[in-house]
Amino acid sequence: MITAERKPLSEIKEMIAPYKKILVVGCGSCVAECASGGEKEVGLLSSQLRMDAKASGKEIDLKEMTLDRQCVYEFIDQLTDVIGQYDIVLSLACGAGVQAVAEVFPKVPIVPALNTTFLGETKEAGLWIENCRGCGDCKLGVFAAVCPVTRCAKGLFNGPCGGSKTDRCEVDPNVPCAWQLIVSRLEDMGRLDLLRKVHPPVDWSKQQGKGPRKIYREDQRA
Amino acid sequence: MSVYAEQRGIDAIFSDYERISRTLMDHKSAELNIAIFFCQQLDPNQDVNRRVLERELGKRIRFFPLPCSGRIDSLHLMRALESGADKVYVVTCPEGACHYREGNIRAKKRIAYTQGLIEEIGLERECLELIVAPVGTAVTIDELAKGLLARKAPISRSPVHGQKA
Repeated sequence: MITAERKPLSEIKEMIAPYKKILVVGCGSCVAECASGGEKEVGLLSSQLRMDAKASGKEIDLKEMTLDRQCVYEFIDQLTDVIGQYDIVLSLACGAGVQAVAEVFPKVPIVPALNTTFLGETKEAGLWIENCRGCGDCKLGVFAAVCPVTRCAKGLFNGPCGGSKTDRCEVDPNVPCAWQLIVSRLEDMGRLDLLRKVHPPVDWSKQQGKGPRKIYREDQRA
Repeated sequence: MSVYAEQRGIDAIFSDYERISRTLMDHKSAELNIAIFFCQQLDPNQDVNRRVLERELGKRIRFFPLPCSGRIDSLHLMRALESGADKVYVVTCPEGACHYREGNIRAKKRIAYTQGLIEEIGLERECLELIVAPVGTAVTIDELAKGLLARKAPISRSPVHGQKA
């Protein structure tokens, strides 16, 4: 899941200030799960913007909409009939969603209401934790499904740093030591042998340095 | 309505919101408009009791009974303010006395979150207030509301709805 947090209202207001007719568009997928960009959050932000405008004597015309996904054309197409009636789209999607909508409607200003943060999981109600960096070279099969790139503060591939105290990371004692988890899980599975292999450093060329990454599958294409 | 929204119970929240939004409050009265969300477990006769006060005060007061105060959502509070309320109260059972164990604790957190939202637009956080019902005393919602109405208003009228006559 892609997580995001809402931008400060002052930043949002600055972006939409020159416009009167605003289409506020949420995304019902990842950012709804992390309670930052779903239907309810569209409602909350719209309420704030309407009340703020009224209090400052400004007129705005604001419409609320939420797409199931803002990163897939078939859903973005639902905006086609309404977008022409508005001056600007305030998108509560992740960065990918904002850009996907902008690609489809290049003449309409599309601005983000969220700061996209990380790939994570819903750990418990109201708590989201990063557990994937999208490095492009997943080693979870070797490390008992605990990612040392993301969950070890030092990103170590070949054993713990030695600084952890009672299974807690020395960098942040609120976080469990990733290597403690890796070793104890492999021990439980009887697969400590996996630790005998020495791993080279992460090949970051699979993640960055070549512009936007692309996944291309001929079998999925029309 | 997306499948996801249905899973989150957002359809219910929005139907509540529609009800709140339709309940436009009095924009002409010189008095403050009050919206009261309350746990209906507090007063078994709430349906009768609140209507007495609603008839007496008209659009100045609106009651929103909840099955539990934990049902309250930030969106309800924002829509109530947007629909004309100058002050919104959420009345909960005393701590430790919630029929659903921790609904009143959740209500408190949601009010705190919404206070942050209204402060961002320059409203006073006191526009939203949590009222914890007294322990061990039977409460009728109309009597409790009269007590709230009799308070000296700690807030000014909402700038969202302009100056009243």
